[in-house]
Amino acid sequence: MVIVKRKELSLAERLYLPEILRGLSITFSKMFKPRFTRQYPEEPLPKSDVTRGQPRLRIKPDGNIACVSCGLCEAACPAHAITIDGHETEREIEREPRRFEIDALRCILCGFCEEACPKDAILMGDELELADYDRQSLIFDLEGLKRTDAQLRPRLDYLKRINQRWPNSSST
Amino acid sequence: MSPFLIALIKVCVIFGALLGSAALMTLAERKFSAFMQYRHGPNRVGPWGLFQPVADGLKLFFKEELLPDGANRWVFRLAPAMAAVPAMLTVAVVPFAGQVELFGVDWGPLSVAQVDIGVLLLVAIGGLSVYGVILGGWASNSKYSLLGGLRASAQMISYELTLIMVILAIVAMSGTLNMYGIVAEQQGTFLAFLPDWNVFQQPLAFVLFVIATFAETNRHPFDFAECEPELVGGFHTEYSSMKFGLYFLGEYSAMVVMACLTTTLFLGGGEVPYWAAAPWYLQVACFAAKAGFFLFLFIWVRWTLPRFRFDQLMALGWKCFLPLALANLLVTGLVVSL
Repeated sequence: MVIVKRKELSLAERLYLPEILRGLSITFSKMFKPRFTRQYPEEPLPKSDVTRGQPRLRIKPDGNIACVSCGLCEAACPAHAITIDGHETEREIEREPRRFEIDALRCILCGFCEEACPKDAILMGDELELADYDRQSLIFDLEGLKRTDAQLRPRLDYLKRINQRWPNSSST
Repeated sequence: MSPFLIALIKVCVIFGALLGSAALMTLAERKFSAFMQYRHGPNRVGPWGLFQPVADGLKLFFKEELLPDGANRWVFRLAPAMAAVPAMLTVAVVPFAGQVELFGVDWGPLSVAQVDIGVLLLVAIGGLSVYGVILGGWASNSKYSLLGGLRASAQMISYELTLIMVILAIVAMSGTLNMYGIVAEQQGTFLAFLPDWNVFQQPLAFVLFVIATFAETNRHPFDFAECEPELVGGFHTEYSSMKFGLYFLGEYSAMVVMACLTTTLFLGGGEVPYWAAAPWYLQVACFAAKAGFFLFLFIWVRWTLPRFRFDQLMALGWKCFLPLALANLLVTGLVVSL
């Protein structure tokens, strides 16, 4: 059994008013403190190397797409969001995708496609915002998915750094 | 210009100012509450969210009106108006400033009516506002509304006593029921350096009055009329659309009127300290500043104090405030008659 001793209130405390004034002074001082709320559209979301945004396709510095349409990402995708049709070209690396579609409404941003890719062609970029007025425009085609090497370079460097920790199981 | 036209214009201006400040109060309420909680508050509609009240009003207009099953149709529709009208009527006797001269026309004193029994009128009409609450709660045919209405009416009647006792002390000091007379009586200096305002001469009455206005307007920490955790929304649980808007408007208008009243009775109305002959626009600005402080106090206290318990509220009203107000009246009467 615990005996709780109640604190005797002083006269000032029993009069309420001084304590109320103390409370008022606390709330008043809080009015000038910095705000916690982020003003979202004007103040963008904080991003880091680890940010796993929408999957995007990398264009190599020589101008050709890095993807060879091997279909591994399509097979790895648990949400069946990726559709690929490949074809052959006259270049040394012959294969490239003719059709590459990612249904962003199906994509769960798991990053399995990025892990499966043997060519560092599909990478989770830093684009997080996804909003439109109809479903069709959220199915990205090949042109909509292409990003330059420079844009995806931070993610690629991050992946390489992380994968060094498991040199024998690396995908790159 | 004919006196009728002058009166009409004054009515429009003062009524518009009342509604405008009530609308601004809804915005200020949300803004200051946000600031006190490290938030931004509404800031998307117009600069600093200034058009938020307009957007809110438009939204309320387009909402569906619901009539609960078993509600008393006529009383249900009448009650919001009965809640809103007294607050808008009482503003008529508030003296905002002295003689106004503008565009070469003598507009007379800046108030709708210069009644000799202004204080009585105010108390009488203010006492009607309880009907809107109790009738709205009863006509809704809902237990929450009924309980909310009952509580609100009990509370308003209890604290009205204190309010009137305090006003009586002021009237006894001023020797007049005319609002302009009460303002005029507060000119000059008190103890050689303070303005001769009733707040310095009657500090106890001032404290009692301010707290009683909180209870009278059903504001925190005495907002038992709409005690959310127990009564959903209190007497206006079943109201929707503009009928709810009218209750809201009435509540905020009552706050504005109460702030004006406190200013008039205790802070010398629109009197600029130490400058009795100040031009009327300075008087209006001074009045607005004083009343604005009390409006801010309504918000400030709301976001500081938790709600009382209902029996605590009644005990405070009957066992503490009423005896204090009576004693204050007695002492004031003795001092005045000596």
